[in-house]
Amino acid sequence: MVDVLRRLERLQLVVVTGKGGVGKSIISAAVGRLLATRGRTVLLFEVDPRENLHQLLDTQPSGGEIIKASPNLYLQHIDPRELIDDLVREKLKVKLLVNKVLSSPVHRHFTEGAPGLKETAVFGRALRMVEGHGPRELRRPDVVVLDAPATGHGVSWLAAPQLVSDVVRSGPIGHMAQLIAAFLGDPDRFGVVVVTTAEEMPVEESRELIGALRERFDRQPELVVANALYPPVGDDASKDPVSRLWHRRRAINVAQLEHLNASWAGPLVEIPMFPIDPGPALVGAVARQLASHLRSA
Amino acid sequence: MTTPLTVVVGSGGVGKTTLAAALAADEASNGHDTLVMTFDPSLRLKDALGVDADPEANEIKVELEAAGELWASLLDARRTFDSLIDRYAPNDAARQRILTNRFYDHLSGSLAGVLEYMASERLFEVASYGKYQRVILDTPPTRQALDFLGAPERIVGFLESGALRIALKPWFDVDGSLKATAKLGPLGRNVESFFDRMVGMELLRDMAEFFQAFAPLFDGFRERALEVQTLLRSEQTVFTLVSGPGQQRVADTLFFARRLTEAGHHLGPIIVNRVHPEVEDAPRAVTLDDGRGLLGWLGQRDHQGVDQLRELLGGSHPLVVVPLLPDEPTKVGALAKLGAMIRSSLQEH
Repeated sequence: MVDVLRRLERLQLVVVTGKGGVGKSIISAAVGRLLATRGRTVLLFEVDPRENLHQLLDTQPSGGEIIKASPNLYLQHIDPRELIDDLVREKLKVKLLVNKVLSSPVHRHFTEGAPGLKETAVFGRALRMVEGHGPRELRRPDVVVLDAPATGHGVSWLAAPQLVSDVVRSGPIGHMAQLIAAFLGDPDRFGVVVVTTAEEMPVEESRELIGALRERFDRQPELVVANALYPPVGDDASKDPVSRLWHRRRAINVAQLEHLNASWAGPLVEIPMFPIDPGPALVGAVARQLASHLRSA
Repeated sequence: MTTPLTVVVGSGGVGKTTLAAALAADEASNGHDTLVMTFDPSLRLKDALGVDADPEANEIKVELEAAGELWASLLDARRTFDSLIDRYAPNDAARQRILTNRFYDHLSGSLAGVLEYMASERLFEVASYGKYQRVILDTPPTRQALDFLGAPERIVGFLESGALRIALKPWFDVDGSLKATAKLGPLGRNVESFFDRMVGMELLRDMAEFFQAFAPLFDGFRERALEVQTLLRSEQTVFTLVSGPGQQRVADTLFFARRLTEAGHHLGPIIVNRVHPEVEDAPRAVTLDDGRGLLGWLGQRDHQGVDQLRELLGGSHPLVVVPLLPDEPTKVGALAKLGAMIRSSLQEH
């Protein structure tokens, strides 16, 4: 596991992905906090239009700005459409033309409908940041951690830049997409953390995701996190409904972990279910748990 | 006679699909021929419904000892889109032009809202059959539960937008070079040349070709999208909102409920799913290895959430609490039982 930590510490972009409702944001925040406490300057990207990472880090909402949450740990909410509009402003420069393009229905629908464009723009921003083109408040983070939205198709996000570079072969967008696809293809710079709970649907989806990463990108996740596990039953022999529910839920966890292990031999960290409401305290507890697993041999 | 339609909405991972199947099994048990349309069932649920047996069949009869028949269908965006093209294309040549367009390949899978639109399109189709007395629609696993509802508007907006008109102008003459756009004046020419520079001629040509090929379909498509829009707002369609347990979901649930009703939809019950049972004398400090204590804490958290939600709703919508079951029901019989439980809880209101 020490190798996993060392690898995570070298990466420039970590994408945290998984099915909806498995605690992806908590794990993203915990990974960010862990790397920050180990001396990396971390920028957390949040893409979900309904911001919630700031609550987990006890800071004000980003609203698009870069917010410092704690030493070395920054947070930014990203609206992909804004990124694309920025690109137009940057390339066109003439204000009258910029307004004309931005208000044009062709632009609006192209941005909304063009496959993979929004995702590519988010990766593009991450790449620019780690290459030192950030704004004054954070010129160059060491690593961007992306809390990827639950899309139902985990790899569609990662496949987006290649798709765009296939479709748009020339011009600045095509060029950008090529650069990003190459960035995502570099195992020394980019890695994936898969989050799941030990339940049927999330495990099934994680297995598919791991398989797709292998087949389509010849890659494997840096780490799989099994989140919110019920505690082992131990010597509790009670037969009342509460104990029965616990035993059964734990049995499902155990069976699903086994199922996951059948298709994933790489690093897996088990995070217990904490009796703590989502917030900074929970993020801290999860980060400590991650750290102690990853530091062990 | 109009068929009552139930649309089950909620964020990803809250158990929409299972609840949709449970509601459907219960309707069948009560003697109604029922169809449940689903997107993303678990393997075991697929087995239980038998929807995997014949992926080409649209609707499959589920084996269930009940007074009414239970049917299930699995929705697939690409397949539905293809059949739509089949239906509306005026001739085989037009059909081929669309199906072989490079842009169609990408568009059918990823144009914002296509999957959601297709779901409501199919809903419209089965609602007008008369074969079923009840239809229950599970919605796609979108991040935002309401994406689903905006889909028909978005598609109509897209089709009516300048994108289509400009694409149809057409930009390109027969030998594929960009036509002079003198009519737009220098500003318009600059905008076009900007798009050209940004994304390249090739993509624009593909897009233009796609929309040209799409033009004959436009009328049928647009008309249908508007009809679907009306159907989703009619008295015939009732929405059931599913939420996960816990206090942190309350704000989300209220937000969805408000948006639904503001958009003119009829919101029926709100179901809080997988609520941990309340434990008497739940301990205050819980250690990580204490499963009973943990469940006590979870039970308290979930019930505080339910109480808060109930208070904030103020009786505007019936609230149903579905407890976390030792096992997720996947057999049809267990689904019907869960559905019956929801029904009886609703009757108490």
